[in-house]
Amino acid sequence: MEETLTPTKTLDVCGKICPYPDMDTITTLKKMAKGEVLEVLLDYPLSVERIPRNLKKQGHKLLSVEQIDGPNHRMLIEAHGLK
Amino acid sequence: MTLVILSGLLVGILFGFALQRGRFCMNSAIRDSILLKDTTLLKSVGVAVLVSMAGFAIMAMANFIKMNPTPFFWGANLVGSFIFGIGMVLAGGCASGITYRVGEGMTGALSALIGLSAAATLTAMGFLKPIKDALQTSTKIMVGEANPTLANIFGLPPYATALAIAVIVAIIWFILARNNPDEGEVKSNASLSNRIFKKGWGWFATGIVIGLINMLAFYFSSLAGRSYPLAITSGWIGIVKVGMSVPEAKLGWDAWLVIGIIIGALIAALIAGEFKIRWPGWGMIGQTFVGGLLMGFGAVTSGGCNVTHILSGLPQLGIGSLVGAIAIVLGAWLTAYLIFVRPQSA
Repeated sequence: MEETLTPTKTLDVCGKICPYPDMDTITTLKKMAKGEVLEVLLDYPLSVERIPRNLKKQGHKLLSVEQIDGPNHRMLIEAHGLK
Repeated sequence: MTLVILSGLLVGILFGFALQRGRFCMNSAIRDSILLKDTTLLKSVGVAVLVSMAGFAIMAMANFIKMNPTPFFWGANLVGSFIFGIGMVLAGGCASGITYRVGEGMTGALSALIGLSAAATLTAMGFLKPIKDALQTSTKIMVGEANPTLANIFGLPPYATALAIAVIVAIIWFILARNNPDEGEVKSNASLSNRIFKKGWGWFATGIVIGLINMLAFYFSSLAGRSYPLAITSGWIGIVKVGMSVPEAKLGWDAWLVIGIIIGALIAALIAGEFKIRWPGWGMIGQTFVGGLLMGFGAVTSGGCNVTHILSGLPQLGIGSLVGAIAIVLGAWLTAYLIFVRPQSA
């Protein structure tokens, strides 16, 4: 049912250099409440692989990674809500 | 001449392809270990260094190559490599990282590369040269006629020592890894060609391939009369010199290598559908340019960038490279702490 999921917030980190896609995602997730969904739009290949492998450590849940076209990806993440 | 062009370019294309597929960047490797507590790329670097160490030793024993460790000038190694470490975090990539990312279409990497090439040339032959020369000559230490290595300072046989270190570290690593299995690695059921050309490579395969390419680099560059494995900064200086029409400047093996890296990464990115002209905004372009300037000055002062010191110098057990490698790590960690970690906890 991911198609119908409406993200609480959208973060566009396309074009950003290493490690800003990861850092911006982490900083944004920290400010979100438990259960809120962050949509991340990104085009940096290393971060497409690195964000999913590090999310678990921060307690957040990766809902989906979807390739839009070429390097452009859309990621949905459920915030852990530590704040 | 033909051999220089062909082999340098070919090794460069292979290296660029592997860098892009493995997302192999020593800036990420070093920085992520404290920033994201992610050691995936660092393990890749470790494998590449161990393969190179054992490979160079065996090749030297068989007389295919002659070991050529970097000079040890502790002041220049410490100051230069520390500044290099600061620069690469600002630039968002190490010397090889920014080179291959140009082939992915990253304008931030291109701006860092222009900064690196400019500052490296100014330090090698321009107004920054006296600073570099003073630091190098005042702190240079040799063992007899040779540059110091972990082997010759203790009077040990060079090749056997390198081989022994590589094997012992690999065994210890294997035992530790068996006791702490990796949970992050996901087994892929994609076809072999998809795994090579479409998906990013795993850290272990990347490390092995880059170590093997480094061995090829040492062999072919020796045939071309250069006698050093992979390196980045000297190639860019060579290209700037030719561009400025410096008398008698020619594109050497290392210049063809860096041109090949961009071509190889471009090919890999195009096949994988990962090529895209990316624009990070003027602020970032400025930051990566300044980072590149620091990297260029640091690399020439220290006698090498991250590739020369870590990937190619450590396997030859050079003390200059060991000190350089430690200073790069410290500079990168300090900068990552100041610009990423501290603002987060504030």
